[in-house]
Amino acid sequence: MEVFNQLIYDFAAWVDTHQWSTALHESFYVYNWVESTHVVALTLSIGMLFLIDLRMLGLAMVDIPASTLARRLSLPMFLGFTVMIITGLLLFYAIPVRSAQSLWLRIKLVLLFAAAINAWLFHRRMSTAGRSWDTAVKAPMRLQVGASLSITFWVLIVICGRLIAYDWFDCRAEPSSFIAALAGCVAGQEAF
Amino acid sequence: MHTIRLLALMLLPLAVLYSWQARGHHAFSAEFDKEAPVSLEGVVTKVEWINPHAWIHLDVIGNDGDTVAWMVEGGTPNTLLRGGVNKNSVPIGASIKVRGYQAKDKRCAPACKANGRDLTFSDGRKVFMGSSGTGAPKDGSDPRDRR
Repeated sequence: MEVFNQLIYDFAAWVDTHQWSTALHESFYVYNWVESTHVVALTLSIGMLFLIDLRMLGLAMVDIPASTLARRLSLPMFLGFTVMIITGLLLFYAIPVRSAQSLWLRIKLVLLFAAAINAWLFHRRMSTAGRSWDTAVKAPMRLQVGASLSITFWVLIVICGRLIAYDWFDCRAEPSSFIAALAGCVAGQEAF
Repeated sequence: MHTIRLLALMLLPLAVLYSWQARGHHAFSAEFDKEAPVSLEGVVTKVEWINPHAWIHLDVIGNDGDTVAWMVEGGTPNTLLRGGVNKNSVPIGASIKVRGYQAKDKRCAPACKANGRDLTFSDGRKVFMGSSGTGAPKDGSDPRDRR
């Protein structure tokens, strides 16, 4: 764990030396725009995603065939995802060290990974499930489980993202050794 | 029936979001103590002109003669610029006076932390250095409060 945290810290500290990282961190407009765009892209992608998930659960647009809805909404959804990922990386690039040592960002990345696996499974199940249920109110149980997990993961991802702003578990606040190890605090760090 | 269930499902996160919205961006009450106002006079040691919040570090000489390191949080660089203060107006070594509220975390390690409300330069010029609508107490320092 210590070696892993040291590696991450070294990488983040290296990113921190970039002139463009500092410029973005100190910018008057661009950082704010990137941050706002991240949130707007999030509403687009999650808005579309949740509509698809709610359709599978029989809670939205039940009169539209599930596969039709999923197909139509996936383009704006992926557009939102793309912008969200680019702006997310830029936000990390602006504040690399603190972000790399954020407990919330670390939980968020684990959840993002889980959401990606879930999405992949969901997609595979959907293509093997045939179309017999397409006009039914609810999708087959396996897809409903996937849709519920998708909503749960994304709600938690957004909450974790929001909590990155707070400093309760920052390395500067000297958390307990357990939290410090999870957050990736490295002794003797100087960059912020 | 579906509409009602969907509505209920959508209202729940909305309610949660609303309660956050009311507390504003980077809620004041999450990190700072409105019962602990501070007035700090000291010498600027470092300025972090960064998003999403700028930090001004200063050495304050206490009543017992000891030097105490403080770091005071301000708004975004953009907010501060609009309020009439930029990186060059707070040079290292300048004497300033800051009013604000101390952090709930009062361990003062590595420095005492506070949320800055207004900043007075040695020539008497005073600027608002906080962010509006963060839930900080209305102490008259925010020019937008009077609207």
